[in-house]
Amino acid sequence: MVKRIIFFVLIFYILTLLQTSFLVHFNVFGIVPNFVLIAVIFINLFGSSDREKVFSALIGGFYLDVFLLNSRGEFFGFYTLILLGLFLFLKIILEKYVRFPTIKKI
Amino acid sequence: MPKIYGKIGLMGTLLGVKLHQNIKKVVVVLILLSIFIVVFNFTGFSRNVKDFFFLISSPIQKSFWQAGKSVSDFATGILKTSTIKKEIEDLRFENQELLGQIAVLTELKRENEILREALGLGLEKESELMLVRIISKDISQDSILVNKGEKDGVSEGLTVITGQKVLLGRVGSVYDRFSEVVLISNKESSFGARIPEREIDGIIKGKGGFNLSFDLIPREKEILENDTVVTSALGGVYSQGLLVGQIKTIKKSDVDPFQSAEIKPAFNVNNLDYLFIITNG
Repeated sequence: MVKRIIFFVLIFYILTLLQTSFLVHFNVFGIVPNFVLIAVIFINLFGSSDREKVFSALIGGFYLDVFLLNSRGEFFGFYTLILLGLFLFLKIILEKYVRFPTIKKI
Repeated sequence: MPKIYGKIGLMGTLLGVKLHQNIKKVVVVLILLSIFIVVFNFTGFSRNVKDFFFLISSPIQKSFWQAGKSVSDFATGILKTSTIKKEIEDLRFENQELLGQIAVLTELKRENEILREALGLGLEKESELMLVRIISKDISQDSILVNKGEKDGVSEGLTVITGQKVLLGRVGSVYDRFSEVVLISNKESSFGARIPEREIDGIIKGKGGFNLSFDLIPREKEILENDTVVTSALGGVYSQGLLVGQIKTIKKSDVDPFQSAEIKPAFNVNNLDYLFIITNG
């Protein structure tokens, strides 16, 4: 688990820096996809444990809070809360409404 | 039958325990998060954290910024070769026109100086400028991060311009070694502006996504596409005479007492590396 967390810390850091410094030059009509958000959604959809999903949301949210500029007056922790909310939302949706097909032995 | 009831009872107890444990976990996480948010926002600790991360990341961000700019320029060069050729021709023509205007203005400047001297008027104090470098950009919020902060003498509200005296925005949040610049296209931004050739005043509002609108222009006034818009002293947000952009499209309605226009900003953040902060105004 510790290895996984270190991996998240590094990968989200690189993604955030790429998003704010590299990909901004390739915006389409002023829009740049939020890669941290996409990565968190991806991990939440296909990740194996809840702990891993929560940590991805916490780390991703923290980096967005640090590196996205709060000119609209968002408080620090805004993106962390949003991503945790996303984690809970996806968890409820996946547990209640999504069934993955499994092979049953007859 | 009692066996089934027993099973249901056992499942209920297990479910209850699991639910109870989950609620406990959620409560713990919420308490920790609340503490985190309170500590970071109300003690000003978030500023130090941001400053620290900007400091350790700025070399990487500089490299990413340069790499992004080079790749983007290369791609644009390939994709828009024919457009660029035409643009170069247009710019050459415009350059010749401007050179002619400079010659006239230089003569006027000399005349002005002589007259000022004769009348005993002092020359206007030149602005004090601080050179800053762009580190990163937040497109969704029309703001950028520059490499000078409170320790370098930057304070909130200072005007930021390009080397060509084009208005870019003003300083928002200031950290120890970095500052955030809120662009004029930010949705929170509005200030007084005018078309100097026609002496028409109005209000510029940021629309987000590097778009600007020029509002509250009296309907009876005639404005044309490509008219130049500069800042006015109205409202006291920016000093007057800084270039904002050109009129792109005009919106006029018979029922509306005012007309508005879309402005094409004179700056392109993608092509900028260095900016100036006016430290004395």
